[in-house]
Amino acid sequence: MSASSSAATSQAQSQTQSQTSRASSRLEDILAEPPSPRIETLDSEEEEYEDVMEDPIPAQSQSPSLESQFSGLKLFDIPIHDTLETETSIVQEETLDTILPYLEGNPNKFDLNSHGIPHLQRKKHVKFLEIALGEYPAQFAAMDASRPWLLYWSLQGLTALGEDVSAYRERIVYTFQSCQHPTGGFGGGHGQLPHLAGSYASILSLVIVGTPLAYTSIHRRAMWHYLGHMKQPSGGFTMAANGEEDIRGAFCAMVILSLLNLPLELPSDAPARKKGMTGFLDGLGEWIGRCQSYEGGISAAPGNEAHGAYAFCGLACLCILGAPATTLPKYLDMDLLIHWLSSRQCAPEGGYNGRTNKLVDGCYSHWIGSCWSLVEAAVSGKKKEQMRSLWDRNALARYILSAAQSKKGGLIDKPGKRPDAYHTCYNLAGLSAVQNRYYYDAEEEEDGGVKISDEDGEKGEMTTTLDASFKWKVELGKGVGKERVWDDEDQVNVVHPVFIVPWGQAEKCRQYFEENPGF
Amino acid sequence: MVNYSDDPKWADITPIPQDDGGPHPLAAIAYSDEYSEAMGYLRAVMAKEEHSERVLDLTEHIIEMNPAHYTVWLYRAKTLKELNFDLKTEIEWLNPAALKHLKNYQIWHHRQTIISQLNDPAGETDFIDTMLGPDSKNYHVWSYRQWLVKQFGLWKGEEGQKELDWVDGMIGDDVRNNSAWNHRWFVVFGCGEENIRDEAIVNREMGYAKAAIHKAPQNQSPWNYLHGIIRGSKTALSSLKDFALQFASLENPDDVHSSHALDLLAMIYAQDEDTKEKARQAFDLLANKYDPVRKPYWNYRKETLVN
Repeated sequence: MSASSSAATSQAQSQTQSQTSRASSRLEDILAEPPSPRIETLDSEEEEYEDVMEDPIPAQSQSPSLESQFSGLKLFDIPIHDTLETETSIVQEETLDTILPYLEGNPNKFDLNSHGIPHLQRKKHVKFLEIALGEYPAQFAAMDASRPWLLYWSLQGLTALGEDVSAYRERIVYTFQSCQHPTGGFGGGHGQLPHLAGSYASILSLVIVGTPLAYTSIHRRAMWHYLGHMKQPSGGFTMAANGEEDIRGAFCAMVILSLLNLPLELPSDAPARKKGMTGFLDGLGEWIGRCQSYEGGISAAPGNEAHGAYAFCGLACLCILGAPATTLPKYLDMDLLIHWLSSRQCAPEGGYNGRTNKLVDGCYSHWIGSCWSLVEAAVSGKKKEQMRSLWDRNALARYILSAAQSKKGGLIDKPGKRPDAYHTCYNLAGLSAVQNRYYYDAEEEEDGGVKISDEDGEKGEMTTTLDASFKWKVELGKGVGKERVWDDEDQVNVVHPVFIVPWGQAEKCRQYFEENPGF
Repeated sequence: MVNYSDDPKWADITPIPQDDGGPHPLAAIAYSDEYSEAMGYLRAVMAKEEHSERVLDLTEHIIEMNPAHYTVWLYRAKTLKELNFDLKTEIEWLNPAALKHLKNYQIWHHRQTIISQLNDPAGETDFIDTMLGPDSKNYHVWSYRQWLVKQFGLWKGEEGQKELDWVDGMIGDDVRNNSAWNHRWFVVFGCGEENIRDEAIVNREMGYAKAAIHKAPQNQSPWNYLHGIIRGSKTALSSLKDFALQFASLENPDDVHSSHALDLLAMIYAQDEDTKEKARQAFDLLANKYDPVRKPYWNYRKETLVN
């Protein structure tokens, strides 16, 4: 597969400033585990925050020249407006008042592109993420269990911005060595219990590094045993031994099995074997299907509320099991799913929320935006010319570039919020979903997805075929035609639609373990 | 500051020092001496798989400093079990901690483990009420309540009625609280198959959703609820036509009070060959006037109308 176009970026000069890390981590109630509290003590952040809040920008204050630049980008009207006030509508109105000035004008005084939208503030974001990789003061102890996440978000964000992260290679491998548990899997840090979230973030980071040293630092056999312990009789996975069972577990486990080319048979010591399970995939698709709620979206576990981050986990998991056009309709009501996904795009904001009647948040640029890459491939024909477009990419691009870039670098939930590595990574991944057109190359499809052997594999004969996610193709920069609202220089490096790592890196890792399958 | 190295109670333990990974670890935290020391002792007791009263004290100390530390919570849960510790005491200790750290996965999972072992949900629903006060859409809290309802059969009989009254109150407070709608669905239809086949219950719930729609027709939560019931009970979609027409009609394209009503009408019109054209009109109206941010979606729906 072709590599992505490399965006023009210079190796940022080394930042020798003192370690006033402003990468507070706001994981909220989504994929990340565990959620770190926002830490309120860092002065630089307070300044940042006040800067944003102090800028006096009345809603209609842009200069005449700006107005004409914006003329082609009229905001969506919201013609229907209920009069009943409730907590939800009050908070929504307040939020809109905060966001609108950023969509109608340019309070951050960023350079504008040829469409009157702020350019991607590449250098500022790079600087922000480099600081996020640095040392943290003692108040950040709450992030002790989330260090693998900080590394993954920062590295993925940097590569999306076109940075070469090879200078970090060895340090990354050593850092994750300290998180790897002797019984398999990665924890949040030294001596911490293995956890699927930490394992996911660790493996993806090592995939981004992409060297034999990084690959061989992973104890694959131990990982396979650890994953075996996470498999549940329901078909799903827990995040840790005696931990919670939710759809993140299923997704993280499939990502790891697929990238590391691990056997799909459960190890003999997997507790689920006592309940009649023999393979990692047993009951999995059905379990994910049970997570689709009456609204059409996907929830953390059966019965919970449909939620954008869990929707991506569910869809990406199904895309690892097989071709999207096969596995998605097999386990999900597609019409209902698409209706719900579509409803997540907020007007006039253009960005996405994660649940019905919740607020827009830049992180859903990825959690929902990347769902579209998978769903569009599932409902389109087999040729790239038949690719359907189901959502307004320009509206999301405008939200990200106008409202989700922090003045001093890093990306955010919404204006007034602080930047963090999490929102930076996922806004940029959302931008990749906006700017590129992904399709699933069914030509490469042989048997329509997963093959599972009927009998338990004999020693040495175990094979895996979780290779569906390596058949994606991308048309670079073709997300929107001529009418797009960004310039070439605002383009991010393309991200793999399922694994959320730089294009080519997942394939490279898989290939390494296909050539070196033993463990 | 709690000090372990000078405490004779801990004299038999050699702490295992922190290793952040190599000489130049990334995103390393400059831990305080207090945190660093406590973690050194935790690593040591975990290595020898010690479960004792002093381990409970140690985990409590670390949780105070870092409540987001799943390892400490899981090890504490295991220790409680090994010691056969009084779990009521544990819940009392947990309550103020939970209120302080609302968005914490671990606290809720720990609570679930403890209540599951206690096998008694007494007081839990009241506690959840308190937790939803400052954040009425907190995902963990709602998910925990769903676990509770399922685990202890709180959807049935008198308990079920109490649960329904409570969630009715939540929807009454904010008819747009979608988490409350989802919970209502869970209580009425999510725990068993029988209610969706019960005509009286289906009618009651459709009436409930319709009444909510009248309060704020552009609120999508009750529309989704209504659609869910129609699908689940296999009621004909067209039975909602008159209801939808109260909020939107193609005869009065300038007087539409709910894009969701228009969407429903389009679905109904799409079912019948004679009204396909009307469905197209409804989709055009949505795409061009009432819901333009979803224009590509409405166009997709129009294109995929079966001819």
